[in-house]
Parts: sequence; C-alpha cells; structure tokens
Amino acid sequence: YRDLHTFELQAPTRLIEWACGNRVCVAGYGQSNGNEILQLIPPPTLLTKETQGLCPERDFKVERGGFSERPVYSLKYVPDTSLLVTSGPPDSSLQVWQVSAEDSDVIKSVSTIAAENGTGQSWAKIATISARAPWVLHGSRLDRVQVTEVESRKNVYTAASRGSEELSNLAFLDCNTLLLCCATGRLCLADIRQPQSLAEAVSVPSAPCSEQWCMGSRNGAQGLEPSSQPVARLSSRGLLTLTDLRKTSEFLALAKARVPCPGSGAEFLCVSWAPALEGYLAISGFDGTVHVYDTQSWDSSGRDAEPIFVHKGHTFGGAGGSRDFPLVTVHTWHLQKPRTLLSAASDGSLHVWDWVQPCGKC
Amino acid sequence: MPEIKVTPLGAGQDVGRSCILVSIAGKNVMLDCGMHMGYNDDRRFPDFSYITQNGRLTDFLDCVIISHFHLDHCGALPYFSEMVGYDGPIYMTHPTKAICPILLEDYRKITVDKKGETNFFTSQMIKDCMKKVVAVHLHQTVQVDEELEIKAYYAGHVLGAAMFHIKVGCESVVYTGDYNMTPDRHLGAAWIDKCRPDLLISESTYATTIRDSKRCRERDFLKKVHETVERGGKVLIPVFALGRAQELCILLETFWERMNLKAPIYFSTGLTEKANHYYKLFITWTNQKIRKTFVQRNMFEFKHIKAFDRAFADNPGPMVVFATPGMLHAGQSLQIFRKWAGNEKNMVIMPGYCVQGTVGHKILSGQRKLEMEGRQILEVKMQVEYMSFSAHADAKGIMQLIRQAEPRNVLLVHGEAKKMEFLKQKIEQEFHVSCFMPANGETTTILTNPCIPVDISLGLLKRETAIGPGPDAKKPKLMHGTLLMKDNSFRLVSPEQALKELGLAEHQLRFTCRVHIQDPRKEHETVLRVYNHLKGILKDYSVQHLPDGSITVESILIQATAHSEDQGTKVLLVSWTYQDEELGSYLTSLLKKGLPQGT
Repeated sequence: YRDLHTFELQAPTRLIEWACGNRVCVAGYGQSNGNEILQLIPPPTLLTKETQGLCPERDFKVERGGFSERPVYSLKYVPDTSLLVTSGPPDSSLQVWQVSAEDSDVIKSVSTIAAENGTGQSWAKIATISARAPWVLHGSRLDRVQVTEVESRKNVYTAASRGSEELSNLAFLDCNTLLLCCATGRLCLADIRQPQSLAEAVSVPSAPCSEQWCMGSRNGAQGLEPSSQPVARLSSRGLLTLTDLRKTSEFLALAKARVPCPGSGAEFLCVSWAPALEGYLAISGFDGTVHVYDTQSWDSSGRDAEPIFVHKGHTFGGAGGSRDFPLVTVHTWHLQKPRTLLSAASDGSLHVWDWVQPCGKC
Repeated sequence: MPEIKVTPLGAGQDVGRSCILVSIAGKNVMLDCGMHMGYNDDRRFPDFSYITQNGRLTDFLDCVIISHFHLDHCGALPYFSEMVGYDGPIYMTHPTKAICPILLEDYRKITVDKKGETNFFTSQMIKDCMKKVVAVHLHQTVQVDEELEIKAYYAGHVLGAAMFHIKVGCESVVYTGDYNMTPDRHLGAAWIDKCRPDLLISESTYATTIRDSKRCRERDFLKKVHETVERGGKVLIPVFALGRAQELCILLETFWERMNLKAPIYFSTGLTEKANHYYKLFITWTNQKIRKTFVQRNMFEFKHIKAFDRAFADNPGPMVVFATPGMLHAGQSLQIFRKWAGNEKNMVIMPGYCVQGTVGHKILSGQRKLEMEGRQILEVKMQVEYMSFSAHADAKGIMQLIRQAEPRNVLLVHGEAKKMEFLKQKIEQEFHVSCFMPANGETTTILTNPCIPVDISLGLLKRETAIGPGPDAKKPKLMHGTLLMKDNSFRLVSPEQALKELGLAEHQLRFTCRVHIQDPRKEHETVLRVYNHLKGILKDYSVQHLPDGSITVESILIQATAHSEDQGTKVLLVSWTYQDEELGSYLTSLLKKGLPQGT
C-alpha cells in the first residue's frame, strides 16, 4: 500500500457515488425506516494529487444528509442539476431528491417516478445522463426498461421487449445508446432513436450451476469514443468476459478470477474499470476483498488470472468475535488519482486505499 | 408552563470559548467560563454584561460549574471571579481543581510576560479564584443549596473531565462539556445513567465528521517519527502541557518497546513533569487497562522516556522531544525549534490546534521564513507535520449519549447551525425529542412538564374508594378535592377539611329564576297544576306538594305568586342551590314551555 485510511460509517452502504466537487455519496440499505443518504466531503488527502502522510484534516465531513424511508440500493446524481435519484425495494419506483439548498444541509425528497404495474417487481437499476434534458434510465427487468425525464417525469423512451430477465446493470453509452446487462449475462444494446431494435452481444459461456452476472462499462472517459471501450461482465463464479461493442460477435478476452467458490451470492457483485489506468479493472463482492486486474495481457482462453493487487482490509474489520466476515458491498475508483480506490463493506467500514504497482511492471 | 432558559455566551455557534448560562426553576447556573484562544483583546472573554447589567453577579448566579481544564472552558475564570466579580461557589472535579491553576498560570505568564499585556489577571487572582472552588467526586450528589443539586459523571476527553447533572426539584439539565464515547490509551469513555433530564446540552464539534480510524492515525504518526529517527533526525513534538501528551507518550513508549528502538525520547521539565505526577495521583480517573496494570507497572513510569535538559538539544544524533508550550509561541518548545529548524533531517509534529499568530499556526500554513525577535529571520528547513489526536464525540457518539441519558430535549453547542440541520433532524427523528441550536447571546426556552407531587388526605382517599370501583375498573377515576398549597408542600383534602383548616365558612349559592305562566286562576290552583304536571313528567324524582303551598323537586323549591300588575299571569319562583344547577336549569326550561291544557 502507499496509503490506507479506514473509516466507519454508522450504517453500511452498498453504493459509493461521486458527485461534482469531488463529493462522495453513500446511503444505508437497512430494512427499517430511517436510512440516511450522506453526501460527504473527502479529506484533503484525497482531493490533492500528492499524497501527504499527515494532513490537518484526515476525516470525511458530512456535508449534507437526507432520510429515506426505504432502503437505498442504488443512487445516481443527475448531471448538471442539483438532483439525485434513488431506488430500492419494495418496488421499482424511483425517488428524486433535491441536494443543495441555500439555508440547510438536508437532502430533501422532491418527487417519485412511479413504477409501471409493479407487482412483485424487484428494485430498479438506474443510470442518468443530461444530454438533451436530465434523463434517468431505469428498469428492473429487460421488458420494463424506460427512459424518463427527471423533472417532468415524462416517459421519453420504452425499450422493446426481448425477454423478461432481471437486469443487473444498465448504462448510457452516450446520449442515444443504452447498454443493458441481465443477471443471466445477456448484454443488449439499444438505440433510443430506434425503439424497436435491440442488438445483442455474444452471450456468456453457459455454466453447469446457475450464476449471476453484472457488468462494468467505462463511461465518461475523456474524449474517447464510448463504444470503443470494452465492456466487462463478471459472474458470481468469478468468470470475466470482455467485449468490444464494435465486434459483439466474439469475446475480446475471457478470464477466471481466483475467488472463493461457491460464492456468497450475487447481491454485491461489482466490476469497474479504472478511469485513469488503461486496461485495469477491479472486482468485489465475493468476500471481504477487492481485486485489481490488468487485463491487457488477457486473451480468450478463459485461463485463471492473477490479480495485480488484493485489498484485504475489510476482512480485518470484524467487530469483536463475530463469525461472519464482512462482505465488500461496493467499490469505486478515484476519478483522478490513478491507483486510489474506495470500498465499503457490510460492517459499515469504508476504506480509501492507494496501492503500489508491484515491481517489474511499468 | 415552567421553562428552562439557556443562553450561550460563547460556543453558541463557534469553537472558541465555552460559557453557557442556564436558568432552571429560579436558579441560575453558569456552565464553563472559557477563553477564546484566537483573540488578543476583550473578545476572548465571554460577554458577562449579558448576565446582569448592574446587579452583582454573586447575587444572581447560584453557582459556576467547570467541566475540564482546557483553557477554552476555564481560561476566563480568574477574570470572571476577580476582575468582574463573583464570590459564589465554583464546582469542578478534583483533577480539574489541581491542574487548572497550573494551566492558567502558564497562560498568564505567556500573555503578560512575553506579550506584555496589561489587562489580564494576575497570579494572585488565580490563587484567590481557586479558593472559591469546591471540588467534587464522580457520582457524588452535591447540594449547592436547599433546592439545587449537582452530580458529576465521567466524560473521558482529558483527565478530570466531567459531565454535570444539575437538578432543581423535578427539573434537570445535563451539560456534557467536551466528551468522548470511545476509550483511548489512557482514558475511558464517557458514561451516564438513564437520568432522563429535561435537557441535554451537548457539544457537537465533530458531529458532522466521520473520523479516520485511530489505528491509521497512529500508524502514520509512528511511521513519520520512525523514518526521521532512522535517518538521524530529531523530532520535536510541542505539546499543550496536558492531555494528549500523555496519550502520545504511551503510544511512543509501546512502539519503542516493540521495535526495540534506542533513540532517546525526552519529556521537557517543569510543567509537564508535574502533569505526569498528577496523572499518577488521579489514577482512578484513567481507564480500566491502566488501572489494572498499575499494580504491575505504572503506565506513567516510562522506561524509554526521560526528563529533558536544555543542553540535550545540542546533542548529536536522533532523538524525540516533547516540549511545551503546544503552539510554539514561546518557551522551551520555541527554543528547541529555533535550534533544529535549519536541518531538513529534522521534523516537527504539531499534535493539535494552533491559534493564529503563533509560530505553530504560521508554519502549518506553509510559511518557511519566520521573523523572530530582534528582526532575525529564521529559515525553516525541517519537515512540518500535523496530527490531531483530540478526543471528541462524533455523530455516532452523540447519538449514543442521548440513548444513554434519554433526555426530553437536546441542545447542541459548538457547531454551525447551517451544517447541523441534518443532525438536528436525525436526533429529532430517532429519539422524538426537540433539538435546539442557539447562537451566542440567543436565549432558548425549553418548556418542561414537571411532575408535582401532591399528598392526598387519607380520609379523602377512603371516601373515594368507599364509593366503589366504576363501571370500568381500569380507567382513571375522576375525583374532587381541594388543593392546599402551604410551605412548599401540596395537599389534597376534602372541602370540609380545607374549610376547617383554613378557618373559612362555607358559602351557599342559591339561584332563583322567575318563570311567567299565563293562568287566570288563583295561585294555589296554579301550583296544583304545576305539581301534577311535574309529577307526571319527573317520574324518577321526588316531587312533593308542601302544605305551605310550595312544590319541591328533590331539593329545588318552586313557589307561585301573582304578578303584581297582571292578575292573569302567575310568576313561578324556581330556586336551587349551586349543587343542583343541572336539575334547576332543566326545570326552568321545562316550565318555560308552559303548562299543558287540561291539568
């Protein structure tokens, strides 16, 4: 490690989102009422490029907070606005919140975007963009994908139905292109301008036991054509596939991560690309660790891959003698500092760590 | 409604000087009397003129309570008691009483001798002030006067820091001072019982902070010290005399032992030696672990830490020195700093807050060329680091304390209102209590609902129980009595007994109402008509026709007379006592409807 900071949140979070001004947002996902949404100001150590050892302020400050009646499973800021959108059980409706107010630090609930005939629907996955207007892409299943304008709550686009599998992630590739990933591993591309079409990428290798998949795409990378960035898919067994969206008929790469098997389920599976390091990605959700991989040496053979770095900090958390080890619920990369990540676990811990490239690599 | 009034004179919404005025059930208490370290003029003292414009403070205030020895909580005490004038009692814990005068004297020396200020308290004033101090033990109930009592609870934070429970009759307030809910190496965590005060006044300096874990802080601190010492450099740690210095000493001692390091660690003489002496004296105020190991080994008898001599500063080779004062504003730490500043192998680690204007503040802001006395320029090549080890409660800690004490209202001091709205809502939602955040000089009124105990006379109680349980035995029963308030006691007695005790005669109220009835016949015939009419309607009541020509319905009397001017109209006089009001009104309205034909 170059640096490691550990913090303890009052309640565990399963999301870490970046907001403008280098703010970080976390939220509680407990079953009971009173989950908090917290917008935090990271300590200056994280804001500066240079890592200082001892710094006057080493703490996160709660800048703003809000109260949510339902557990918050997903949260996305709406760019260019002072709003954010959350989703969580029991249904697939979305809650819209106003973040900044002049005279108060409370994040207030503003409106709700209703779920469509949602009986027995699980929670909606969301993505946001502000291209022609602030939009939110949401849906819990493949046949229920919609784009809604945030402020007016008007529906802008509904995806054609191609099945009713549960979704695990969705993303805007650009202001017209959507990327949808199902829990079965199925990856679909949609164009808002052509509601009926839905292109599919090569599906994942089928497995003897059922496994769940999630995806990580790289959006917002400066100046790069979004579709030129490979999309990673991660399975609950540790299988990783990389797909180039321009050539969706074959895999770019296939590898197997070293993760405990059987895994602890797919609740917190997370894979993400490093914004400042070409070809690096991180995975988590299997246990109390986060793995960092360099995918540049991967091929399509499906071989075992060695992580460049494993963050084990959360496994040492365990407050006083509990048998269960904490499970990493989410991780994210720092937007500017190339090797810094933030990770959170089910025991409420929040770590910020900066890993050192092992010798022998550039 | 009875109320508790709170006015912060300092620390309302800033960190600086704590001084809070509380009015509870007619008593006035001042909580802490701190000095603002950032100002050099009168702004550093709280505005005492707010308390009473021309009255004497001694008459107005019932007592003053000091929570701990930090100057932002007790620094203005000698000024207050000797220069403004207060002769009443001042309460604080034993360690605070022992250590306070040392810190005050130290600060006085620097302000007056070094800075040459004149409007400041003298050494004699500090001594006179301390004579007014009454020391208290933890969990000891102290009667300030017949009605006001106080009790101290352990607060952690620094040696001798306490939270105070103030009670007058049924109303109470808890003031936390500065506290810490997580134990550290030499102090335990704050604790209070479920005292359910009407109001809890809590500090909220770190309420909006999520703190870096102590392990990481310590690890980084030790790494820096170790690296410097390994390359032959010297580490200077200016400490604020008491408090964190001991924590860091224990930390370094343990580290040196574990890593088997040989470089010497020194603790500067004078002030801080005395401090260690006090920690040993007040060992019961330290945490569990220290007390347990005290028998085998006194934690404050350090093996690797030795007393410092001025000459050692010139010794070659690596070393670590703890020197006072903490902000590098004068004294030994500044001397050592000047000697070592020019060498880049050396390091200075500031372990706490530095007031503006001090050398400590300047170098932390990045200044590397300092002007010293005699216009000498000092170039600072040594490394400058900052590490804050102060022990305050964060949001989680505040919630914990509220959960322990179960107050009915919460008041937060030491924070910024805008940034505390979220915390306020959090507290209100979780505990269903009201949360206040006044600014300096702003008075907050908290309504209380005290229980007033009333003694009920046995006779009255027996009488009520003799009536027997009502239809629903579980429901509260309404009973009537007279409340006598005499000599601060309340008694509920029967009206007869009250009359007797007070020597009063019972008054009888009687109402008479005139009802006009058209009836040309003679009076006694009218009366007969009325009697038959009422007898027919009021079957459940006792209606009687008396020989003297009047009718009684229960105890109500009805008489008929002829109207003076109009023989055709009869006037019925209906008369009843206050107790029969209901029946009387009913009869009157009944009669006003007139008599039916045919009776």
